[in-house]
Parts: sequence; C-alpha cells; structure tokens
Amino acid sequence: MSDTAQLDEGSGSTFTSVAAQRGPLALEAVSLHKDFGLGRHQRLHAVRDVSFRLYRGAVIALVGESGSGKSTVAKLLAGQEHPTSGSIVLDGEPVSLSSRRAFRRYKSKVQLVFQDPFASLNPAHTVHYHLKRPVVLQQGKAKRDVEQEIDALMTQVRLTPAEQFLGKYPHELSGGQRQRVSFARALAARPSVLLADEPVSMLDVSIRLEMLALLDDLCRHFQLALLYITHDIASARYLADEILVMYAGQIVERGPAEELTQQPAHPYTQLLVASAPDPDNLGSSLRQGTSRSGRPPEVASTALEGCPFSARCELAEDRCRQESPSLRQVSPVRSASCWRLEVAAPQVLAGRQGGKGGEKS
Amino acid sequence: MTFGGNGQLPSLGGRAMTPGTDQANVALDICDLSVVYRTPAGDVRAVDGVNLALHSGEVVGLAGESGSGKSTLAYGACRLLRAPALITNGSVHYQGRRSAEPVEILQLRREQLRRLRWREIAIVFQSAMNALNPVLNVRDQMLDVIYAHLKISKRDAAEKVGSLLDLVGIPRTRLRSYPHELSGGMRQRVMIAMALATDPEVVIMDEPTTALDVVVQRDILAQIVELKERLGFSILFITHDLSLLLELADRIAVMYAGQLVEIGTAEQIHHEPSHPYTKGLLNSFPSLRGPRRELAGIPGSPPDLHRPPPGCRFLPRCPYGTQACARIDMRLSPVSTSADRGHVTACPFVLPDTPVAPRSQVLGLTSTDERGTTKVPSQEPPENPPSGYVPGDVAERVLVDGSPPDSLDGSHLAALDVEPSRGELGT
Repeated sequence: MSDTAQLDEGSGSTFTSVAAQRGPLALEAVSLHKDFGLGRHQRLHAVRDVSFRLYRGAVIALVGESGSGKSTVAKLLAGQEHPTSGSIVLDGEPVSLSSRRAFRRYKSKVQLVFQDPFASLNPAHTVHYHLKRPVVLQQGKAKRDVEQEIDALMTQVRLTPAEQFLGKYPHELSGGQRQRVSFARALAARPSVLLADEPVSMLDVSIRLEMLALLDDLCRHFQLALLYITHDIASARYLADEILVMYAGQIVERGPAEELTQQPAHPYTQLLVASAPDPDNLGSSLRQGTSRSGRPPEVASTALEGCPFSARCELAEDRCRQESPSLRQVSPVRSASCWRLEVAAPQVLAGRQGGKGGEKS
Repeated sequence: MTFGGNGQLPSLGGRAMTPGTDQANVALDICDLSVVYRTPAGDVRAVDGVNLALHSGEVVGLAGESGSGKSTLAYGACRLLRAPALITNGSVHYQGRRSAEPVEILQLRREQLRRLRWREIAIVFQSAMNALNPVLNVRDQMLDVIYAHLKISKRDAAEKVGSLLDLVGIPRTRLRSYPHELSGGMRQRVMIAMALATDPEVVIMDEPTTALDVVVQRDILAQIVELKERLGFSILFITHDLSLLLELADRIAVMYAGQLVEIGTAEQIHHEPSHPYTKGLLNSFPSLRGPRRELAGIPGSPPDLHRPPPGCRFLPRCPYGTQACARIDMRLSPVSTSADRGHVTACPFVLPDTPVAPRSQVLGLTSTDERGTTKVPSQEPPENPPSGYVPGDVAERVLVDGSPPDSLDGSHLAALDVEPSRGELGT
C-alpha cells in the first residue's frame, strides 16, 4: 500500500479539483492512514492513503457506506484522532497537535458538526451557554461584544427572534432547531473549515433540504471550506462541488458532483447510484424482487492486497484480487481507482481528452 | 373526536378504502381509528379518524414526517400501544385466509389477542439495533418466538430457525451469534426472519431500513418483495422516504398531523399528487437521476396536536392555502381528474363534482403548479369555493358530525399561526 502512487493535485499532475476555482486552499489531507488495533495482531485499516484538499467557499462531499471510514476521516481532520501516518496541512503549514494550545488554535480554524443533534448538545445547558463558550474561548471578546456576536450567530442560522431561543434547553427544540444551534456553535469559533458529519441524516425529510440550503448559504457567506460527509449521494449531487467516493477506507473515485453522479466510472459508485431509490422507475427490479447488490465487506478481514471492492465486483479478475489499483485520472477533473475502467466505464474514458496523458505512475 | 375524520358524509364518497376493489379481499381494515396521548397539557390527537384498508398480497406504504402518527396508527391497529396512549374511536377488522370469520381486533380478549399477534399480524420494529435482545443469541430468540406461537417439536423448531435464516440470506453459522456480532443489515434481516417465523398474513414494517445505507437497503427491500411474492403476505410499510415507497408500494397513504391526506397508487402519487403536502414531500428529495430540479422542501413544522388548527391542518405550511381552508373540514374524497376513484385526497379543491378547474386557478396561483394544468380544460376560476364544499363555520360542521370537540373554540381560528412544536408524539 505504501508504494501506491499518490494523487498529487498541484505538482506534476494535470489533475485539478473543480473546487479549486471557488477559493484559496484551506485544509489539505496528505496521504492519511489510520489503523485501529483489534487485538491479536489484527489491524483494522480504517483509512488508507486518503488525500484531498478543501478550498474556501467550496463544498466537497465524502460519500460512502457505513464502515467505509468517512467519519474516521472527519475525526482525523478535526484532530480527535491521530493519523497512523500522513499529515494535515492547514493554510500551508503542517499541523501539529502536540500541545493543548496548538490544538485549541487548530480548533478555532477547523470545526466539526455532528450527526445527531440530540446527542451533541449538552442537555443541561441553554442555547445561550452553548454559543457563549466558543465565542469567549475562541474569540476572546469583551462581554458586551459577546452578546452581539451571539445574536449575529443566531440570525445567521435563522433562529430568530434570538431572544426566543437563547434561554431554551436542547429538549425544548425540534431536531432542525437543534442542528441549527450546532451550526451556530461551530461558526462561533469563526472557523475557515467546517466538517459536517452526516449533518442532516437524523432530521426529518421535510427539513433536510432547508438545512442543506442553510449549509450552502453559510459556506458561501463565510467562505467556509466545507467537507460534507454523507451516505446519501443524491444530496451530495445537489450540495457539493466535488464528490469523493470512499470504500473500505480508500477513495475509489472523485470528480465534479454532476459528472460523477450522472456517469459514475468506478463499479462501486455505479452500484451506489443504482441503489438509490428511483421513483421514475416504477416497474423496477425492486418490485420484481431481484437483488442486484452484494454485501458490504467485512473491513477487518479485507486484505491489503487487491482492490477492496473485488469481492463484490462483477468485473473483478485475477489482477483485481492481487494488486490494489491506485487513483487513475480519467479526465482533467476526474479520477478513479479501478483496473478495469475500460470495461466498467468506457463512455467516461471515451470522453477523456488527450489520451493517456493523465495516468499516474 | 370525529372532527377532521374521513368519510363521515355519504355524499362525499364514503370510506377511504379503494372503491371497486373486492371487499372480501381485505386483510386488515382500519375504520375511523382515533388515538390520543393523554398528557397533563391535554390530549394529543396523534391519530384522528383514519380509514385504511390493506388487501391481501398488497404492499401499502404509509408516508409522512416524524410525529405525523404513522407508527401510532400501525401500533394502535394492533393494540400495541401503552398508556398514556388511548384508542378513543374506531374499529380494526382482520380477516385472515386461515380464519373463517373476520375478527375485530379492538374487541378481542387478551388471550385471543395474544394468539392473533405474530401468528396473523407480525411487526418488524424500527431500529433493529435495539429491538433484538442483546443477551440472547439469534437462535434462542427465534426459538422463543416459535415456541410462544406454534405447537412444534424441538427438532422442527430448530430446523425452522435454520430455514428462516436461509430465507433472509444469513449463513447458518451465525445461529449462535449475538446481536452485537452482526452488522446492521444482518440484524435487520434477523428481525425480518423473526417476523416471518410464524407465517403471518400481515407484516407491518416500521422504518425497517432507515438506519441502513442504500446498497444494503436495496438488498433487503428486494428480499422483502421476493419473500412477499413467495409467501403471499401483505405489507404495511411505514417510512418517511416517499421516493422509496414509489418504487416499492402498490398503494401509498400519505399522513399528516394524525390524518391521512392522500391515498393513491404509486403511479398516481408520483405523477398526479393531489394534496399540497404530498407535493411538498415529493419535492423534498434530491433526485439522483434526471435534470437537477429546483428543490423546495416544506417550510415550517407540523402543528401541535394538542390543539390542531381548525380546518386543514396543513394550512399553516401550505403554499396554496386560502382563508377558506381554515373553515373546511378536510375529508378524503376522490380526485376529480383521476379516472380511478381509489385515488383520494383531503384537499377539497379537487372534489369529484367540482367544475374541473385547475387548482392553481381556483386558488389564484401562477401556473407553476403542474398538476392538472395540462389535463383539464381551462376555465374561469369560480368565485366561490367549489361545489361539494359545505359552507358554514367549523362549529356547525362539527355539530353535524356529532360531538363538538372542546378545543375548537373561536380562539384557534385566530391562532392559525401555529407555534412550531414537535416531539410530543414520538415515532
């Protein structure tokens, strides 16, 4: 795995992230690895060789099934876990979280929003307290300014009138309102990077869109670099500029959201897209009762050799089981890690300009 | 407690059941069911006069937001609710293929009910993570079910457990596994296998795949459909994911604030949604295929069911709402533009005898409202609400139905701006 060619966006490669057009580079993950010990010399390779860049004002979506390592990536970036190897670069400087002070400074720049708004707010504290602490700790404002700042935050997440909500406890709020408080709390530190780990999956369908629109709005307004982690590739299509698809700890495909969802190249992405409910297809395979998917991998047992998806892939051949593929460029803005792209996605390769120029070595 | 109920007036098309379908074919027939939760602050009317029929071999989807009363309806129909929930009205008839006479579930004695449950009506509960007993292995908890409901020898029971696991595609080596050793998808499959252990006629599935990711979800749903075809049970499928139901269900019932607001086949709901709430739900899903649509969602939150707003409960959030909506008792009645009288909606601007005008015109909207505008001849918008709409204020209307509910005094007419308040109901 260590000799796997690394996707290097800047130097030597023609790969460009579509998100780069939005704004300056904020946070960079460089070849992150994270292993967890399972006892008896077993290792779980939760994250393997993951690299990407977050740009200010852009939304990058990290899509994958549960157990694919997407939340571990968020924890690594948030500094809650230490990578086994690899590094994180914030605003051009490698991040070292050895001291508490460094960690706090990093926290003020990189904030995390959790999935469950019911669990991520302290039930014993009011909304006001939840917002006041980060404002005081991270911004060090004078007392009068603090209240002003809190009011501004509440307005930004559209919890108005603020007085009506500030005195309330989390249990007095609806799920959507709680998640808005979580957003406000994250923004209170004036971060440049926001990591949102399944921010809407616990919310009601009717308000999910509202929350995604709010996220999008906040991202543009504050020039946030947003990492949107989700298992719902359809919402990623609407919110994100670029989508990274993760499988068994690796990024298996990346590209502009619209292109990737409409013409998925990697067999796993194709399975993911095919599995999404399709209301237009009323006489679908589902009603006929035919299953077209396999089982997710037992990540712990997935060998380091070979493509992790090979066990479920219809196109897998001997090479797929022996050598692990690395991300290979299929267009200036897309890449996928699959040995059999010619078979899996001929139409994507056909659209590629300039022959094999993009292939990495 | 019948305010807002469906089909009280014979002139309005009667019951919400699919007319024209074979009455004898109905496996589960929920009539005018009302459930309240008794709280110190007053009754929460979680289910309010709901009529729904499930035919044998059919998949009926029940869709709605959390707190709309979907689960309460299903559990109420099986008498699985505990205090402070209270069934205040209605009847639930069950007719199985094995039993000659239909039974009234709400009238059954304890022992009769025990025999009916699981044997005839089984439930796959929400969140399989918590519904399995963590200290029993898969085999033991499945045996529990089998011994409790079937007279069967030890050897046969063990064999049955094995074959049930085969049925849902779990290797028999997992028989001795404990729930925590199984993945989410496997636990859900175990739940389904357990529900099918006694060969029930009706399976109620309460959000069985919500916690799973799409690939596993699809796998399990395909399996459910396959089993349904093979074993011939009927399914009441509860979910908030309408896009999933469109693919899976034969008929879909949309629930809002304790009432059904629209029933129709999947095609009808998809292509000609007739209630603004259904439209809102349909518009809440980012679609993966086709052109990127402008998505809206539904602003606002469901009403506080302690004191539901008079008239249409969706009015505070309805983009098409008018003053008149606050004074109309919303009942399900056939959609005029639909040939099938089984397609019913609670929005009265599509009553059967209404001069067919697109609702967008009736309500003075722009033509962005796509339903009907192409199908119906254009016509001058009527100045008055359409015929079939019975004028008169709420109090009168309620008296016609019988009991005037106490919470419907004039103050609530003014207080239409419903305070966002949720969570009283649980899901």
